[in-house]
Amino acid sequence: MANRMPRPISALLDFLGAFVPLNFRDLESEIDDRLRKIPTTLNEYGYDPYGLHPESARSMIRMAALLYRYYFRVETFDIENVPSGRVLIIANHAGQIAFDGGMLGTALLLEAKPPRIARAMGEYWIPQIPYFNILAARIGALVGTPENCVSMLNSGECVVAFPEGVRGMNKTFQQRYQLQRFGLGFMRLALETNTPIVPVGIVGSEEQQIGLANLEGLGKLFGMPAFPITATFPWLGPLGLWPMPVKYRMYFGAPMHFEGDPFDEDAAIQKNVDVVKGAIAEMLDRGRRERTGIFS
Amino acid sequence: MEKVLITGISGGQGRLLTRRLLENYAVCGADRVAWEGRPPGVNVHQVDLRKRKFQDVIRTENPTAIVHMGFIRHFRSNERLRHDVNVRGTQQLLEHCARYGVRKLIVVSSGYVYGAFPENPYFMNEDHPLSASRAYPEIRDLVEVDTLASAFIWKYPQIRTSVLRPVNVLGYYVHSMMNEYLRHRPITMMGFNPMMQFIHEEDLCEAIALALEQGLQGVYNVTGPGEVPLHTAIRETGATPIPLPEPIVRPLFRRMFDWGAWPYPDGAIDYLKYPVTLAGERFVEATGFRPLYGLEEIFRSVRR
Repeated sequence: MANRMPRPISALLDFLGAFVPLNFRDLESEIDDRLRKIPTTLNEYGYDPYGLHPESARSMIRMAALLYRYYFRVETFDIENVPSGRVLIIANHAGQIAFDGGMLGTALLLEAKPPRIARAMGEYWIPQIPYFNILAARIGALVGTPENCVSMLNSGECVVAFPEGVRGMNKTFQQRYQLQRFGLGFMRLALETNTPIVPVGIVGSEEQQIGLANLEGLGKLFGMPAFPITATFPWLGPLGLWPMPVKYRMYFGAPMHFEGDPFDEDAAIQKNVDVVKGAIAEMLDRGRRERTGIFS
Repeated sequence: MEKVLITGISGGQGRLLTRRLLENYAVCGADRVAWEGRPPGVNVHQVDLRKRKFQDVIRTENPTAIVHMGFIRHFRSNERLRHDVNVRGTQQLLEHCARYGVRKLIVVSSGYVYGAFPENPYFMNEDHPLSASRAYPEIRDLVEVDTLASAFIWKYPQIRTSVLRPVNVLGYYVHSMMNEYLRHRPITMMGFNPMMQFIHEEDLCEAIALALEQGLQGVYNVTGPGEVPLHTAIRETGATPIPLPEPIVRPLFRRMFDWGAWPYPDGAIDYLKYPVTLAGERFVEATGFRPLYGLEEIFRSVRR
């Protein structure tokens, strides 16, 4: 991108760069260093087969890293539980807007060994939104079809999924830290591809927004999966969805291996899912016990 | 020596394939147009595949194998004619194959038959439904041809039939849709930049030759060396992408296409928005095919 910028603009950017605080610059070089070490193979144009392009993802990752270090002050526990090969990361989902996903992805890039690109399994409408679909592809997200997930896992990638989906993300403040119903698809895929599951409990995101209600009917009218009413949204406009500066704590559980028939009836799959859900609930309890406050 | 009949022999791909096959086979061809300067010993019959005269060609030439790639792939002719030539021509050809003891048949279909949709998974395999006509009715004839040929595999298992679905073919000689698009009208949709796969024309010849030599049977995607975003492909072929806003352009192109002032129907726009990427492993496992041309060489071979 930089080489196609007009010269005065790139000169101006270089000049402004001199005023960037030193620890920001350290962060930038840390990100560059981490991006070089991701195990994904890129072709001669710097793309992976699914459209991931670390070069264009860099500026987005920088912004996420700033939020990660200075806004949410994310603290990770036992991240070495993430193995180096194929893995399915399963976490709780909350907070009206998926900052938890972004922060989890940043944690995997900045703190996991080796650094991993979190492959997010996105909604079906993402490819239809101009520009946004390109951004999503460049940071390694793709449409969450079972085929995509299987081929990601088979090529040894790190797939992140939130089995609660909107049920978790758009729940009210009263329901914080109450895990909603988990979808079963992730377990079937893990069984099919013989992939270890790393459960993750994210403490903090559940309190970033004070959700009061979810008007699903109104959301449907606008073609959205949910329409949250929070202490600040829609009263302050779109800005009202901006999260409070809560402190994030991420607990990574030990990898769990499951065996069985991926096409078994729901009840049998549900048993395994409940084991994962239990592990996440336990870590959430631990996180709430250990912390001193929502913001610290 | 085996004798191969190539339909659509006078096209760019047909000419390349003839030269590739001449080392090991006797080659003859059928096409609507002549081939000036064809290699000696290659008979080119100017016939319409739908007509009885084509039957005579098969009877007299008596080929042991047929490579079927004589399709109208552009939209310049009338839609009904295109459909009739492609679908009925293929159906006649299949009947002749069964009647005159042809032992091998290769139908060169296209990767477009899967259709471009937002919910497309990456690297679709051969079992993926052929949904192209849902949003792009103008190419339903190509889907029908593919389906006819695939059904033929089961109807006549004694004839070694394979249906090849190559990704976008690029090169110096070939007149593929993608080649024309990159050379003349690299229009893109604002805010969209899907991943695309390419294969070099010579590599497609190699793939067809391998399928022929090995008497391959079945339906196979044929993929090239890799995939890049559309904009990168356009830049690498030496052009500049022209992004246009889709909500304005789509109805405009529909009108212009109806008036004959624009060469692609509006359904083609989806191929500039959503990825249509194929999994080629099955073909590679069956034949040991490896593309010789890398992405950079492919882009460099596009004539400007």
